[in-house]
Amino acid sequence: MSDVVWMAWTFLWLSVLCVGGGVGVIPEMQRQVVANHQWVTAREFVDGYTLAQLTPGPNMLVAAFVGYRAHGVPGALLATVAMFLPTSLLTVVVADRWQRWRGHGWAAAAERALAPVGMGLMAAGVYTLADSALHDALTVALAFVAALTLASRWAPPMLVVVLAGVTGWLLGA
Amino acid sequence: MFTWTGILSIGGGRAAFFYEALVVQRRWLRTDEFMQDYTLAQLLPGPNVSNLAIALGHRLRGLGGAGWALLAVIVPGLAVLLTLATIYFGRGLAPATVSLMHGMSAAVVGLLLVTSVRLMRPVLVNARAVVIAAATFAAVGPLRLNTALVLLVSAALSVWLHRPGSRA
Repeated sequence: MSDVVWMAWTFLWLSVLCVGGGVGVIPEMQRQVVANHQWVTAREFVDGYTLAQLTPGPNMLVAAFVGYRAHGVPGALLATVAMFLPTSLLTVVVADRWQRWRGHGWAAAAERALAPVGMGLMAAGVYTLADSALHDALTVALAFVAALTLASRWAPPMLVVVLAGVTGWLLGA
Repeated sequence: MFTWTGILSIGGGRAAFFYEALVVQRRWLRTDEFMQDYTLAQLLPGPNVSNLAIALGHRLRGLGGAGWALLAVIVPGLAVLLTLATIYFGRGLAPATVSLMHGMSAAVVGLLLVTSVRLMRPVLVNARAVVIAAATFAAVGPLRLNTALVLLVSAALSVWLHRPGSRA
């Protein structure tokens, strides 16, 4: 199978695994796009996620970043469509019927049951990104200070990210 | 419909912003309607933010609303990110840019950590939920097991533990 088809299939598959938040699919995405297919390096993947975080729109647009590296602009568009379109169609279909389904006991059970699974996946996603992004004392310190600043709501998230970038630049991270 | 597009695109595609724009400022939706769509977006496979936009768009304007909402959250971000990707891969990175990216990536990890803890607080309310979350984390994170496999096992187990009639 050609590499382009593999890429579309990979992102389609990853989108189905997005349960309870895009970050949860990061470990599997890294495995696929860095280790299995080598479309990007581990460093490029973290940088791509950081850029997606700074950009308006869903962070899962990191798919477009990987697609661009692998197959240019057409690759980016294909990866985006594979990531968003099929699950979007599913959402439309279910949203149409959810009013009738949600009264059912199993629907409520699924809501409660998938929440902790989603949290575990999300924590694993943070772990995977930290594994590549925090590679020395300075980056660990920056992450720690950023977390404290955000937890105490001193500054908006984007400002903290940009300031950390400037600090990294000044101190040569 | 174009106002609707505009609002979503500026918001940076974050659930809290949708809430602010649609429920608090414009009063197009009630909080319980919003929370219902939010839960649905979490529950269904697919990136949450786009799922949420689609569910809200569908509630407000039917199929057309859902389509517009999807385009509105994706197209602006895609354009910006493609531009950034072109620069990133095009010129090769100067050492200064590498340091800048390292600093920003580190802060993003800190940001995600805080967001995760905030989201976990209302979910991890009993031992059952904590064990499921911890096991899922260990399997997918440090152990690097196949996510699809872990998801299948932990979701099935969790649904069974939360089955109708089981005590909360």
